[in-house]
Amino acid sequence: MNNHKGLIFDIQRFSIHDGPGIRTTVFMKGCPLRCLWCSNPESQDFFPNLMVRDINCKGCGACVNACPQGAITMTQAEGRKIEWSRCDQCLLCTGACIYHSLNRRGSYMEVPDIVQEIRKDEGFYRNSGGGVTVSGGEALWQSEIVAQLLAACKAEGMHTALDTTGHSSWEKLASVLNFTDLVLFDVKHLDSGAHRRATGVGNEQILENLVKAAKKKRIWIRMPLIAGFNDSEAHIQELTALAKRNGAEKISLLPYHEGGKAKSPQLGRIYPYPDAVAPAENHIHRLKDIMEKEGIVVSIGS
Amino acid sequence: MELAEDLRSKFVSKAVRNVQRGYTEDDKSRGLFRPEVKLDIQRSRLMTESFKQTDGQAMVIRRAKALAHVLDNMGIFIRDWERIVGYQTSEPEGIYHPIDMNWKSVNRLVNSEAGKTLLNEAEKKELEEICEYWKGKSMSDRQQEMFSGDLAKYWKYEGTFLWTHWSELGIPDYETLLHEGLDARIKRAEERLEEIDKTIPRDYIDQKEFLQSVIIVLKAVINFSKRYAVLATDMAAVEKDPERKGRLEEIAHTCSWIPAHSPRSFLEAVQFFYFIHLIRYLEYSTLGIGLRLDYILGPYYEKDIQTGKLRKEEALETLQLLWVKFLELGLVYSPLVTSVYGGVASLQAITLGGRDKEGRDVTNDLTYLALETARTMRTIEPSIALRIHKDTPDELLSAAMDTIRTGIGYPSFFNDEALIPLLEKWGVPPEDAKMYGVSGCVYMEIPGKNITRRVLGYFVLAKCLWWALHQGINPKTGEQWGAKTPDPATFKSWEDVLEAYLTQVKFFTTKMTEVENTCRDLYAKYCPKPFYSAIVEGCIEQGKECKQWIYPSMVHDFAMVIAGTNVADSLTAIRKVVFEDKLVTLPELAAVMDKNWEGREDLRQACINAPKYGNDDDYADLIAREVHHRTEAVMETVKDRFGYGIRGDGSAVSATYGLAADTPATPDGRMDGGPFADSTLAPQPGMDKKGPTAVLNSCAKIDTLQTYNHLLNQKFLPQFLTDDMKPVFLGYLKTWRDKKISHIQFNVVDKHTLIAAQEYPEKYRDLIVRVAGFSAYFADLSKGLQDHIIARTEQSLS
Ligand code: SF4
Ligand code: SF4
Repeated sequence: MNNHKGLIFDIQRFSIHDGPGIRTTVFMKGCPLRCLWCSNPESQDFFPNLMVRDINCKGCGACVNACPQGAITMTQAEGRKIEWSRCDQCLLCTGACIYHSLNRRGSYMEVPDIVQEIRKDEGFYRNSGGGVTVSGGEALWQSEIVAQLLAACKAEGMHTALDTTGHSSWEKLASVLNFTDLVLFDVKHLDSGAHRRATGVGNEQILENLVKAAKKKRIWIRMPLIAGFNDSEAHIQELTALAKRNGAEKISLLPYHEGGKAKSPQLGRIYPYPDAVAPAENHIHRLKDIMEKEGIVVSIGS
Repeated sequence: MELAEDLRSKFVSKAVRNVQRGYTEDDKSRGLFRPEVKLDIQRSRLMTESFKQTDGQAMVIRRAKALAHVLDNMGIFIRDWERIVGYQTSEPEGIYHPIDMNWKSVNRLVNSEAGKTLLNEAEKKELEEICEYWKGKSMSDRQQEMFSGDLAKYWKYEGTFLWTHWSELGIPDYETLLHEGLDARIKRAEERLEEIDKTIPRDYIDQKEFLQSVIIVLKAVINFSKRYAVLATDMAAVEKDPERKGRLEEIAHTCSWIPAHSPRSFLEAVQFFYFIHLIRYLEYSTLGIGLRLDYILGPYYEKDIQTGKLRKEEALETLQLLWVKFLELGLVYSPLVTSVYGGVASLQAITLGGRDKEGRDVTNDLTYLALETARTMRTIEPSIALRIHKDTPDELLSAAMDTIRTGIGYPSFFNDEALIPLLEKWGVPPEDAKMYGVSGCVYMEIPGKNITRRVLGYFVLAKCLWWALHQGINPKTGEQWGAKTPDPATFKSWEDVLEAYLTQVKFFTTKMTEVENTCRDLYAKYCPKPFYSAIVEGCIEQGKECKQWIYPSMVHDFAMVIAGTNVADSLTAIRKVVFEDKLVTLPELAAVMDKNWEGREDLRQACINAPKYGNDDDYADLIAREVHHRTEAVMETVKDRFGYGIRGDGSAVSATYGLAADTPATPDGRMDGGPFADSTLAPQPGMDKKGPTAVLNSCAKIDTLQTYNHLLNQKFLPQFLTDDMKPVFLGYLKTWRDKKISHIQFNVVDKHTLIAAQEYPEKYRDLIVRVAGFSAYFADLSKGLQDHIIARTEQSLS
């Protein structure tokens, strides 16, 4: 790990689903949770990953010799193949492939360089009520860098948002909140056991942080919506009550999509949740109605 | 809404809009014309009859009489739903061909596979006889006979520029015309005739002939309208259905009054406009005629609303009927022009919004009604240009977004903050500059001024670069075709390549302009336009036909520049690969390109991987800036007939696709004949990896004031255009405005594109879609997710 630099897996400009207006979202890499449905599995590790795009491979074979582990083979039958169990993520092969079939995901950047990239769309933020969002992975695991980054953005008058799982110490969260205008607080499940089974961690600390954060800042609650996991009417009522109790301005329901399914093999992993599905449209609408009756602003998908 | 659907089922669409590629016919199976469409030879027949009778008279008189003969005798009809009348042919399924321009291409067309259903045998025979008369007399023949030597050599399309002689644009002085009626114009011409009888100016004969021709055509135009009044009266007399009878009586009432007199109602104003519009096409077969609809017709609408004569819904219906009229106008062009414009398009353009002479925002009820008309009609014509400035109401931007969402591709947005200063730089006085309107796809004109707006042709900048890498010599034939620029082996930097490129730009601009200027002299002599002259400011007053003088400014003549992005990306790749990384020498690179990269895919990848314009990266963007600024500066040094500089323009329509076929491989990694960037500000397809804000930032580095009117096409998934995304869209648009980028169009990626991408992932490898919370290459998504996005796309469009 590098102390002065943040590990980032993407800076996405023209982000329109991570808070109000046109935003730039900085995705910090590394996450302590292992949500089964994760749509960005490349965000999980705390180090840069190899990610492959088979569709780009021209079969030129240049990568085979570049790999010190002998993890890449080239055969008539299977074409270029990665033996993932031998791969130690040294990333040497990514330099050998000129066709962008072997790519590096994750790079270390200094705060001023990140800010410079964010600053480029300043005019768009102003005209659309947008700004910068820091997301992850779990951004709070690099809280020092994130605090510096958001402080720098605030100093330039930008609107700042933090998208977090809430899974970190209160101190870290508080240090970042000092420079945050809006928190996009992810909630996966209100039952700790269910939460643990699906993400690997319980939710006590998360919910505690939510209550505290809501006292200090505007919050929007976000919840991925997975059929049979967290989409019961009772659970939604509980979520609505939580939102109301804590003065959340809005609940966003993000219906499950298969984003992570295609990416897992690109990272040499097996997708852990092959039969996850989104709730039916009419059920989603029913849930929306339930929440709206309680006077909560609801958005679906963003 | 009901009427719109009803009309949509009735109008006759003339062609499958179908872009053929250069001379090759890769889309041939789809055909160019719908089978029920017929070529109507009436205009050709009547013009020819008249011309045979007027032999020996002055050309301006002959053309006036020919137009009058057409208007007096062409078959007319009124269909039972119509309230606005007038048609360019004698039958609803008709298209016509301008025989006075060219008889060869129509002859070729009716005898070809694509056009074999257009005429029956008897008509084919008559057409042959008509063609016989025009041999040696059509404008194409006259050019062919007149051009020899270098003029003839560079007139022919070879791949660097496609010179085009047809397009003559210009927006009439509708404001005055509607205000005073044509009678007043006739009177003014008569007064001028009396005046020159007293003053006997040096050009007495020219003036007299011109003024006489004006009177002939204007009287014929009034008579044309009266014929409709008579027909409507006759039809009403025998009509039993009271509703139809009422409509016919209304038509009779209208057409017996206008265009001789000023319209008494909104409906009459629309009919007045439409007759003028239609007859311009009959006088001279051009494309792309424009109107500032809300500004010109708004006052008539408002008056009727105030007096309670008109309801808003009724005005909407009137506009829908007008839309049908726009759509029905269609001409046959030569096959090549057809390939460039795509099918039978007339490229009529409505301008909305913007400022008036005093600088006030002109938005009115009609602005919104016109957008609503477009939304309900969903037709390919007319296109709508919306002028945007600091004071444009948010409500209008929001209505524009609703219109784009339907997937019709317009309105396109014109930025007053960039374009008014640009017009002023071209010598247009500030009060006129504020009044600009749009014609064709994207040309700015000053309504009412004598602007015979000319598009010299399409100018392929990437081919100029290619010549610069070959010293102007065609490697296949050894012929010196372009300028003799230095041997690329002697180039020390990318700037040396740029200089050689600019020398080629100057060389070909000069060639193109020589052809153009000579041809304009020919047109002034053999193809005067008395009707158009009569409806712009200044011709009657000076007794001068519109081609004998021009509105003093640089607004007139331009070439549509194509593939500036490819030049820029090529220079960037040369800088990186040849001069910095030294992977190859410049002559070696040229040799690899001549073999279309064969065996050197590695080199091509290195060129592709070099920085590219459109990613908000100064390394590439500043070279693009240099290319555009310097290209314009060089072009301006070449002068038109009246001594004004030639300039570029970013309005290349679908030509970017058609003409790319004739440019070999370029150093940006493009293959022989591969597509170009589709507009002057657009990144090469698939090369912009940072999203739409980065693209706009790149565009903003190219200064409109130092270049020309640009075009940028932006593609979006419809999910970006849903109601909850309005703040985002408006924010994006306002930032575009603040960055002073001249012009932007939005294309909505439709379901079919996505389905095609699912089927042929290798062709759509770069299509990025944004799924909530993350973005991805569409090709990488699982089938399930792709299906989901396709379903949602369809949903948010409806
Ligand atoms: S990242 Fe893995 S596959 Fe690539 S070179 Fe290193 S060990 Fe080999
Ligand atoms: S270098 Fe790239 S293109 Fe060549 S075989 Fe390896 S992955 Fe495929």
